[in-house]
Amino acid sequence: MRPQNYRPVAHPPSHEYELYFGPNHPGIEGNYAIRVRLKGDVIQEAIADGGYLHRGFEKIMESRLWIQNVALVPRICVPDPVPMEDSYARSVEALGGLEVPERAQWIRVLMLEVSRICAHLFTFGGNAATIGLYTNMFWGVSMRDLFLDIFEEITGARIYHMYITPGGVRRDLPPGILDKLSAVIDELERRAPEFDDLFFDSTVVMNRAAGCGTMTQEQALSWGVTGPNLRACGLPFDLRRDDPYLVYPELDFDIPTETAGDALARMRVRKAEVQQSIRILRQVIARLPSVKGPIRCPLPNPLAWNVPAGEAYARAESSKGELGFFVVSNGGDKPWRVHVRGPSQMHAVQVLENLLTGARIEDIAQIMFSLDACPPEVDR
Amino acid sequence: MKQAQVPAVLESVLHEIPGIQITPKEGSRVRVDVAPGALPAILELLKGQLGFMHLSAISCIDWPQTDEFELVYTVWSHEQKMTVSAHVTIPRDPGEYVSVYDIHTPAGFFERDIHEMFGVRFDGSPNLRKFILTSWNGPPPMLKSFDTLAYVEETFQWVDYRPEWLRDIEAKGGGIDSEGEGAPS
Repeated sequence: MRPQNYRPVAHPPSHEYELYFGPNHPGIEGNYAIRVRLKGDVIQEAIADGGYLHRGFEKIMESRLWIQNVALVPRICVPDPVPMEDSYARSVEALGGLEVPERAQWIRVLMLEVSRICAHLFTFGGNAATIGLYTNMFWGVSMRDLFLDIFEEITGARIYHMYITPGGVRRDLPPGILDKLSAVIDELERRAPEFDDLFFDSTVVMNRAAGCGTMTQEQALSWGVTGPNLRACGLPFDLRRDDPYLVYPELDFDIPTETAGDALARMRVRKAEVQQSIRILRQVIARLPSVKGPIRCPLPNPLAWNVPAGEAYARAESSKGELGFFVVSNGGDKPWRVHVRGPSQMHAVQVLENLLTGARIEDIAQIMFSLDACPPEVDR
Repeated sequence: MKQAQVPAVLESVLHEIPGIQITPKEGSRVRVDVAPGALPAILELLKGQLGFMHLSAISCIDWPQTDEFELVYTVWSHEQKMTVSAHVTIPRDPGEYVSVYDIHTPAGFFERDIHEMFGVRFDGSPNLRKFILTSWNGPPPMLKSFDTLAYVEETFQWVDYRPEWLRDIEAKGGGIDSEGEGAPS
């Protein structure tokens, strides 16, 4: 006999189960989680769960002076902090009507491209580790360290440089740094064939990454995909070319694309982008000594700087895609509103949920890493 | 900063919409001020006729002075190589607007974010569940009326640091809370 108020509890069918993937899992990028519902090892539904890295940047920035926020913005994205500094600075420059001196623009491009290489080296390592190839991670991080030495010498910091300020950069390049950078990119090029042997020519990568997490160009466009993930679907969209900023129009570089739209294509695009960044850096190294002049335009007293009222949207092609800062001033000494548009807000939520549905459990980590999704950008 | 002209192609498509105001801004960006009721139609028009198919962002600004929310829809056209920010203002009370998810899929994320941080409700948005602030029951924190410092003062107690704490923790066998809520069951 069952009691009168008995109501059977709705259980999922016994062959389905749920798995909470993350937030502290070696196969997940940063502190992030995905709730997956599985049948066997095939994912029926994936729900992204963020917020573990929410530090309230946008709110804090409203209570800091314009110049104080220079110290906050790089912290939004650990692997690729320079585009954050640059986009914030350009949005403030647009509001304040500041013209950045040419030398500062070249130095910024140098910083941006070194940051792109560092971020891609990190992603290669992470992506390889998700399919059991750990050596890439060690090699990538050791190579990245040489670039961090360059950052340290230029800015005094390895990750959070706080170097790009509204109006230019904080200080000029130290003597001899261009030769050192040149030696590091030579070293990277010398080691590139070894990375190929280890990763791109590996049978494991071919078997695991090809055809994994595939999206068509049409899907990518409708899901708001940008950056290498979009270029891996065949569309050569790159803000450095299509909506140029700084001195990118003066630089000669290609926009690499692939057509397969899968994890392997995304990594191939990043590999080709590293080569293009090296090409850009060689041009910057050749050009910078002849670009003389100040590294910062005259600024009002930064502690009592009332930026004219208005709004500006500045964006950069970060290593992950379109990174934008929408900044509103009400004419005061602090921003009225700062909205950070990170590319991973698309890649780590809707795109990831879509690509995971129908995929197998062992590919979750690889799909997330191949999208180069950066949770701190989502959480802010 | 150099101010651009309003691109003719944009003017030709948008000029018939009543009450619209088009202002060139920095770089390739054009600001368009529209009435709240006209925004979905304008996004549709821009997408269909000029290829503005990439929604970069939806940004929300709280203006307590006028008791309004300003919503800014930033779209990019791969064909025109141009950015349009469409601005609408809606009253803070009741803080409701329509979803544009059916026009731009990425709107789903931004609307969910704005709902969570500002409390604006988007009618027709596919998912307005909490995402970042899952265990937060206070007011939407990005509202200007929410004072973070006052919240901290009210919620937490200031306690001076005492080095004995570390010794207490070590005596209990490390940093694992074996009695409190976080204890492993």
